[in-house]
Amino acid sequence: MKGTNLGELEELVLLTVGVLYKEAYGVAVMDEIEKQTGRTLNISAIHAVLKRLEDKGFVKSEMSEPTSERGGRRKKIFILTASGRKSLEEANELRNQLFNQIPKIAFQRSLKYQV
Amino acid sequence: MPKHSPPKWADRFLEWYCNPKLLEAIQGDAYELYHRAAIKNKLTADVLFIWNVLRFFRWSNIKRSSTTSPSNLMMYKNYFKVFKRGFVKQKGYSFLNVFGLAIGIACFLLISLYIRDEYSFDRMHSKADRIYRIHEIFQSEGVGERSASQPFPVAEALLNDHGAQIEKAVRLFNFQAPTLVVSTIDNKKEFNESRLFFADSTFFDVFDFPLIQGNPTAALADARSIVITESMAKKYFGDEDPMGKFLKFQGTQNLLVTGIMQDIPLNTHFQFDFLVSFATLHDVYDPSVPQQWHWYWNPCWTYLLMKDQEAAAAVQSAMPAFVQKYFPEIVRNDVSMELIPLTDIHLKSHMDYEIQPNSSLTTVYVFASIAAFVLLIACINFINLSTARAAKRAKEVGMRKTLGGQKSQLVFQFLFESILLCVISVVIAVCIVVVTLPLFNAFAEKKIDVAILFESFYPGLLILLPLAVGFLSGIYPAFILSSFRPITALKSNATREKGAVFRKSLVVVQFTLSIILLIGTGVAIDQLNMLRNSDTGFHHENVIMIPVLRLPIAKNYMSLRNEFLRNENTLSVTAVEEIVGAKHQVGNYLFEGMEVSKPFPRLNIRHDFLKTFNIPIVAGRDYSEDMITDDSLALLVNETLVKQMGWTNENAIGRKFSNRSNRMIVGVVKDFHFTSRHQPIRPLVLDLNIRDQGFDTFIKYMAVRISGSNVSETISWLESQWKAQMPGWPFQYFFLDSDLEKLYKAENKMSKITLIFSGLSILVACLGLFGLSTFTAEQRKKEMSIRKVLGSTDYEVFVLFSKQFFGLILIANVVAFPLAYIVMKQWLAGFAYQVNIDFKLFALAGLSAAAIAFLTISYQALRAAHNNPADILKTE
Repeated sequence: MKGTNLGELEELVLLTVGVLYKEAYGVAVMDEIEKQTGRTLNISAIHAVLKRLEDKGFVKSEMSEPTSERGGRRKKIFILTASGRKSLEEANELRNQLFNQIPKIAFQRSLKYQV
Repeated sequence: MPKHSPPKWADRFLEWYCNPKLLEAIQGDAYELYHRAAIKNKLTADVLFIWNVLRFFRWSNIKRSSTTSPSNLMMYKNYFKVFKRGFVKQKGYSFLNVFGLAIGIACFLLISLYIRDEYSFDRMHSKADRIYRIHEIFQSEGVGERSASQPFPVAEALLNDHGAQIEKAVRLFNFQAPTLVVSTIDNKKEFNESRLFFADSTFFDVFDFPLIQGNPTAALADARSIVITESMAKKYFGDEDPMGKFLKFQGTQNLLVTGIMQDIPLNTHFQFDFLVSFATLHDVYDPSVPQQWHWYWNPCWTYLLMKDQEAAAAVQSAMPAFVQKYFPEIVRNDVSMELIPLTDIHLKSHMDYEIQPNSSLTTVYVFASIAAFVLLIACINFINLSTARAAKRAKEVGMRKTLGGQKSQLVFQFLFESILLCVISVVIAVCIVVVTLPLFNAFAEKKIDVAILFESFYPGLLILLPLAVGFLSGIYPAFILSSFRPITALKSNATREKGAVFRKSLVVVQFTLSIILLIGTGVAIDQLNMLRNSDTGFHHENVIMIPVLRLPIAKNYMSLRNEFLRNENTLSVTAVEEIVGAKHQVGNYLFEGMEVSKPFPRLNIRHDFLKTFNIPIVAGRDYSEDMITDDSLALLVNETLVKQMGWTNENAIGRKFSNRSNRMIVGVVKDFHFTSRHQPIRPLVLDLNIRDQGFDTFIKYMAVRISGSNVSETISWLESQWKAQMPGWPFQYFFLDSDLEKLYKAENKMSKITLIFSGLSILVACLGLFGLSTFTAEQRKKEMSIRKVLGSTDYEVFVLFSKQFFGLILIANVVAFPLAYIVMKQWLAGFAYQVNIDFKLFALAGLSAAAIAFLTISYQALRAAHNNPADILKTE
């Protein structure tokens, strides 16, 4: 099942991978998401999403140098691919497009309610 | 460097399940998080680590072997090809291996078919699990009878009192007569039939014997109806339709044929050709006989169809009260009742008056262990031959390992080969079974159909068997072979022989088993011969038994006897209740000093009984024809009875019985075996019965002793006298001694079958030994050649070579003797009379095993000795 749709969590993780550029591996992605959004996610969920993104071709991975804090194990570093970047742009664009079509009046009311 | 480390087991669990490709990243992240948490608190870090490990345990992360990858399929092809080449290249070895296994498996299958058949008895009925037979145990202080049959009214009374538990009851009755006469109306066809029963109309409700024609519920409802089997229909009516026609019974009654049954299968505990409606007996059976008498005589095999299983237990527990309620006072306290499930009868019931002799569980166990032994011996062959040959494949193993073969792959390859070999063996074994089954059927007296091999659980077994046997016998060689180190394996020719000790001990096991089987067979045959041949205490050669029960012979008996005696070759004539030496009845007697009467084994006899059977009298006198009161006022008893009463032979004479002063014991006879020697001699009363009615229920046979000369002329003389005195009645007879042979049929059959299978076990063991000696010869041929070059004689080489195998056989003997002794002691314990275990037999078994083994290896030993050293050494 490798659709090109991005789920909400997938999009979040994909964005984080982009943000972390060259430093994006499981724990780092988890920390970054927590820092940026306050959402705590289990590491296994992050791994599952990263694997899914890799399967869809939005990220690619390579192994880093071993580090001692991981018991001499290497990190799996994820890097945004061109198609990943494209799908982020598309998602962004779609969002903006839809956002811009919201009538002002509705926007205000909803803002009022929000406060 | 972090000081802490996460819980080991969790870490290992992660490593175990995790896909190796993902492991590093996952484990790395888990460790990083652990160390981060561990700075604050080790416990929470541990918990977190475990939690993470558990959370990582998802389908996408789990290690899965990709079995269908093209490279694996190629490996299979390669395994197969290597197997095929090896198989063809070493024809002799392959033959030994496959053939040995095939014989082992064939024996196993044959015996399993036999055992399956034994267990299939009486299970064809849809209600089999609810049918019970009720036994009457009529004993006082161990003397009396354990009867498989019941008095006439028991079935009715049971239905009456326990109708809530018992659905149906059916009685079978045949006068307990050996044969009954059936003829066509015109008397053209007239036969003595031994397989005729009177049966209640409920017969077909309880048992599922299929009717070809006729209505199962109505066929036996009316008096004077008869149901016959297909083959009897053919015998009496030829091609005509028998339905609605008549058959004449005992020359007096016409019975209407109301149904045709399929022939009765062999695996029922009672066989029959005719069923006559029970209602017919009202004509035959005297209703004026007092009720007391009906509850004493117990000739009816009574089967009960229970509502369910619990009902049987309920009825069983109600039996003591039932006995007290109905049975006459004189027997009430000596009778107990026992329900036995229909399906248990064939293997577990060993009562007096069984309809036909049953089999026993012991035989089944003996056969099952033989089957296991032979299969085990065959498996050991396989293990030995494969490991012995291991050196030959060392290079292949080395090469495979060098090219990246894993140990597990090699183990799998060798298991694959052994399973493949077993598949071939099983195919051959099935062929052997198909071919030999008719032969096996003939001497096991079975009718097992080959088709069974392809029914029920057998297809499963035939698939499972090669897997199980292949795995069992392949696993050890597989591990041995796959554990070779590539460097040593490839380096030189002289791979050291591995597992020689193990192999030798397996050979010892094989021969131990074979020798035990041989000794067991020998002891069983000895025991059988002892039972059959030792003195019965009465004369049973040249005694002709003529069934006379329910023949109109009473008026003619005396004249017939006189006519018989006119021939000089007729030595003595008498009549007796049962076949002497096989069976007896039981009667209640009250002897002096007893308060209540007790059951004693009894034979009703006519005059000249002792003379005919040549039984000596030890005290007092025989019945005399001059004393007409002997019939009621005198009794003969045997020595055991005298002993049990605490009398001496002399002072037993004149002891009173039946509490009357004029009734007394007049003679004591020497003990003789009036039943088979499975039982010790028990007390016996010989009761003279010269009343005419005696022939209705008591006197079943005339017994005629003839001299050994001109036997056939004497018999035709007897026949002509019979024809003259008893016109219209077929003359039928049998020789007592040949009938007595039947008593030991079970032992006879068992010893024959064990003899054959223990022979086969030796054969299989020798096949293995032959293979093993071949390889040893191969391995040591250079050594032997060098010995010869340096001056050894052929003889010395021969001895050197065969010595090692002889040692093994010797050890096998040492192990087998005590084991065999213990096992056979146990088996013999089941017999009342036991043969002394003959130690010559042990020597014989040991020697013959050694001799057979010697013949097997001497071929290779001779070759080793006769080889020309030049031929062998020059190839180097």
